[in-house]
Amino acid sequence: MMPEIGQLALTFAFGLSALLATFPLYGSFTGHQRALLMAKPLAIGMFLFSALAMGCLIYAFLQNDFTVINVASNSSSILPWYYQITASFGSHEGSMLLWVTMLTLWTALVACFSKSLPLLMQGRILAVLGIICVGFTAFSLFMSNPFARSLPFYPVEGRDLNPLLQDFGMIVHPPLLYLGYVGFAVSFAFAIAALLGGKFDSTWARWARPWTLAAWLFLTLGIMLGSWWAYNELGWGGWWFWDPVENASFMPWLVGTALLHSLAVTEKRGTFKSWTVLLAIAAFSLSLMGAFLVRSGVLVSVHSFASDPSRGLYLLAFLLLVVGGSLFLYALRMNAVRSQSRYQLFSREVLLWGNNVFLLTATLVVFLGTLYPLFHKELGLGSISIGEPFFNQLFYYLVIPFSLLLGLGPWVRWKQQSLPPLLKPLTLVLIGALTLALGYMSLTIGFAANLALLGLLLGAWVGWSAIVEVWQRLQQLGGVGAGISRLQLSHWGMTIAHIGFAVLVIGVAMTKTLSVEKDVRMKIGDTVQLNEYDFTLSDVYALNGPNYGGQAAELEVYSAGEKVTHLHAEKRFYALQKTVMTEAAVHARLSRDLYVALGEELPGPSWALRIYVKPFVRWIWLGGLLMALGGLIALLDPRYRRRQSSAAIPPAVQSEGQHA
Amino acid sequence: MQSKFSGRWLTPLHSALLLCAGLLLCTGLSLPSQAAEELLQFQSAQQQALFRELTAELRCPKCQNQNIADSNAVVAVDMRQKTYQLVQQGQNKQQVLDYMKQRYGEFVHYQPPVQWSTIWLWLLPAALLTSMFVFMFRKDKTNAAPQLQQPQLDSELQAIIDEVSAPGSTQSPPQGRSNPS
Amino acid sequence: MRKLMFFIPFVLFIAMSVFLFSGLFSDPRQHGSALLQRDLPAFALPELMTGQRKTAEDLRGQPYLLNVWGTWCPTCNAELGFLTELRQQGVRIIGLYYVQPLDAAFGESFNLTALQDDVRRKLAEQGDPYQFNLLDEKRSLIFDLGVTGAPETFLIDQHGKIRAHHVGDINPQNWPALAAQYQALLTETAATTKEAADAK
Repeated sequence: MMPEIGQLALTFAFGLSALLATFPLYGSFTGHQRALLMAKPLAIGMFLFSALAMGCLIYAFLQNDFTVINVASNSSSILPWYYQITASFGSHEGSMLLWVTMLTLWTALVACFSKSLPLLMQGRILAVLGIICVGFTAFSLFMSNPFARSLPFYPVEGRDLNPLLQDFGMIVHPPLLYLGYVGFAVSFAFAIAALLGGKFDSTWARWARPWTLAAWLFLTLGIMLGSWWAYNELGWGGWWFWDPVENASFMPWLVGTALLHSLAVTEKRGTFKSWTVLLAIAAFSLSLMGAFLVRSGVLVSVHSFASDPSRGLYLLAFLLLVVGGSLFLYALRMNAVRSQSRYQLFSREVLLWGNNVFLLTATLVVFLGTLYPLFHKELGLGSISIGEPFFNQLFYYLVIPFSLLLGLGPWVRWKQQSLPPLLKPLTLVLIGALTLALGYMSLTIGFAANLALLGLLLGAWVGWSAIVEVWQRLQQLGGVGAGISRLQLSHWGMTIAHIGFAVLVIGVAMTKTLSVEKDVRMKIGDTVQLNEYDFTLSDVYALNGPNYGGQAAELEVYSAGEKVTHLHAEKRFYALQKTVMTEAAVHARLSRDLYVALGEELPGPSWALRIYVKPFVRWIWLGGLLMALGGLIALLDPRYRRRQSSAAIPPAVQSEGQHA
Repeated sequence: MQSKFSGRWLTPLHSALLLCAGLLLCTGLSLPSQAAEELLQFQSAQQQALFRELTAELRCPKCQNQNIADSNAVVAVDMRQKTYQLVQQGQNKQQVLDYMKQRYGEFVHYQPPVQWSTIWLWLLPAALLTSMFVFMFRKDKTNAAPQLQQPQLDSELQAIIDEVSAPGSTQSPPQGRSNPS
Repeated sequence: MRKLMFFIPFVLFIAMSVFLFSGLFSDPRQHGSALLQRDLPAFALPELMTGQRKTAEDLRGQPYLLNVWGTWCPTCNAELGFLTELRQQGVRIIGLYYVQPLDAAFGESFNLTALQDDVRRKLAEQGDPYQFNLLDEKRSLIFDLGVTGAPETFLIDQHGKIRAHHVGDINPQNWPALAAQYQALLTETAATTKEAADAK
């Protein structure tokens, strides 16, 4: 009975979203107060019903209700309960329901936290979100119903969850990713509401900024988790493959980052208005396009769900309606808006434009790399593949000027900045960065590894610049002690996020250049040396898990005679799904990871093993975490919670006109 | 804004060196490694590196987007074997790639060929980059135009200032400031 | 002018959607063949049942279908029936047997007699469409032909040039397209043979 309740709840959510899409919008055009006031309860009700539907689906999984097709295809009675919960969003239907739940959650949050917004604006924003919810609840209800039953016939046992998804990463990655992915709908709704209303003052940007920050930080976490999960799960030590589905999440992130910075300009200086609106539309459009790419079967990917052309058609039609409609509205309304502000060539506005230039170019690179093979093939020109070599080459060229600008950015004032006062601190930052990078390289591995050196230099430049800039600001605010509490949270957020980026760049450059790998065949007792570590295979035995069998290997790792760690690697065979999966053994330290993957058994008996030493690979995820932390800190800045009355004091006056 | 660094310019440098030492402590020094019982034997480190590079850049024609290094499909295993043989024979990267492309087409290399139909992959991003920079510089030229003359507002302002600074006035005159920018 | 510039994102989006739409109806896994209009690669493989050595020259003279298959492959077994019908209609089909890799670690080794029995049994069950079968134990010709799995079929003309590379099974739905090509090649061969005969 619970699945039926779930389906009913989803139907109610659909109904409420249809009301939300129409009444407040009608109210905004006619000034009908009651219609506008309906938006909040409708949004909250819509979320409660979606959450109920999701809860019913999870319940069906926990109860092993194999009469529900989704449960039978993705779960089994021997699956541990925490994976049964994640199996609920492991399929197309289930993940679509999770998407709907996240979308309605954001809508409800906007409804609850918009007291400082004028009612008219609130109504419009919630109505736009309602339109999006209608599209997705309808899609879930009519085209991918997770509650469909296969009665009167049903299997005695389920087909089990894909072993690749039976991992901690699966529990956290999709919810966080979807929170971010879907969260850009809020910025989108703000943009459309502004286009409908025709008002683009800087208060619009101040309202939109915290929502964009929240969505961005969840997306950052989601992508980082996905990368970390793939690293641990897939057994080849890779952490990013430029797979179409990965790119589909990376593009909204790139545009979202550009949007964050552009919003800063619009909020502070009232300029870049049309550009900011376009970016807000673009970020969510890329999210929608990502959903289309993953679920339509247009591109081949290890991540994609089983495809169905009718689903693809629906999503494309929805995409055309929402994105096409919003871009058309943009073209109609935007040319009436002109930014009034002025700024010099050497100013923060220009540097932030530079930020946007590189981020947008990077987005175009990812976009072309993902979709060009499709365009090429559809034009009858043949099949080509675009993968890592292409992306790496172009990102390599883009990250250099981007990082240089990033180190410079926080020092430069709004509107105009003269160079001489900056020369001394910047030169010191440069010396510091060079010392760090060259010093480290010369004392460890020498100068042969160019990419590593370059990455270290750029990362040191960005990170060191951020630290020194904050240190100087603290001095200006009355010394480090007094300054810490006086410096705005958004400034701290910026600094930490930029340091996070520096850490990420260093991690990527070092791990790409300095990772070493050996594919060896080992008998029990054999030792292999890699860098300064000795790996000895001490034991191999059979496995007996809840829903899998296979083999496990035990290794001892020594370095200069001292024991470093004990590693446990597995090769699992999942009986129900008849698939083999490697559980790599990872010993993580900030300086390097030791990574061992067990391969097949060979005559001897001996075993094939892949052993890696990957320096600085943790810095990649640490960098991402720092960026998300920076976003969270900036989000907590009290000025976003200030009521409308205090907006009379322009924030620019409050501290020497030099904050984020 | 005067610089605060004049008397303490050594401090950031010292901190840089400290950080450097800290990084060193957490990484340790590395030593040269010795090969032992590898699954695939190579005549030189360059050949091994070439093999790794090739197997990462060649695509498995049957899989859902995997390179041949990570796939266990029959065709991927065969391609790996073939790559190994060709590298052992001393062929260079381009020769091996051509060999594979002859049999499986351009599809099998993750780097797209540079031809008229694919040159846009590099041209379009370059075009976007340059056009966005040009846009900024053009905007700056417009910005650099002299301030709009608003004589009427100027005289109104001057009248207010005169009123305020008149000898009988109870208010103090505003501090010397020219046109607000 | 400025007004028109704001329409650029809209126009670009519509253009992209057109490609996405057409992409919905094409199979992303089909990626063309590199072998078209090229000569059949040189090979020297034994015939499966007799062990007699065959080369590319031996196959020249008549157009034919080269069908890559194996008894381990369910789709291949399913198409055997239809291919046998085609043989009865006069279509010349030669089989290229795809030997699956063997796991030396577990003592598996290539057993020709067992394989011959297996093939004989399967062909007796489903029908024998083949003039003869080439045994590609090391998958050498299969690799040179850019084959990624089974079944795959090549249409090769009388001069040994590959005219078509079909991935997947041959069935009544997709046969007519290949049939037209095959027929055209037959007519061509008949015409040249007649000319040669007249010239004598």
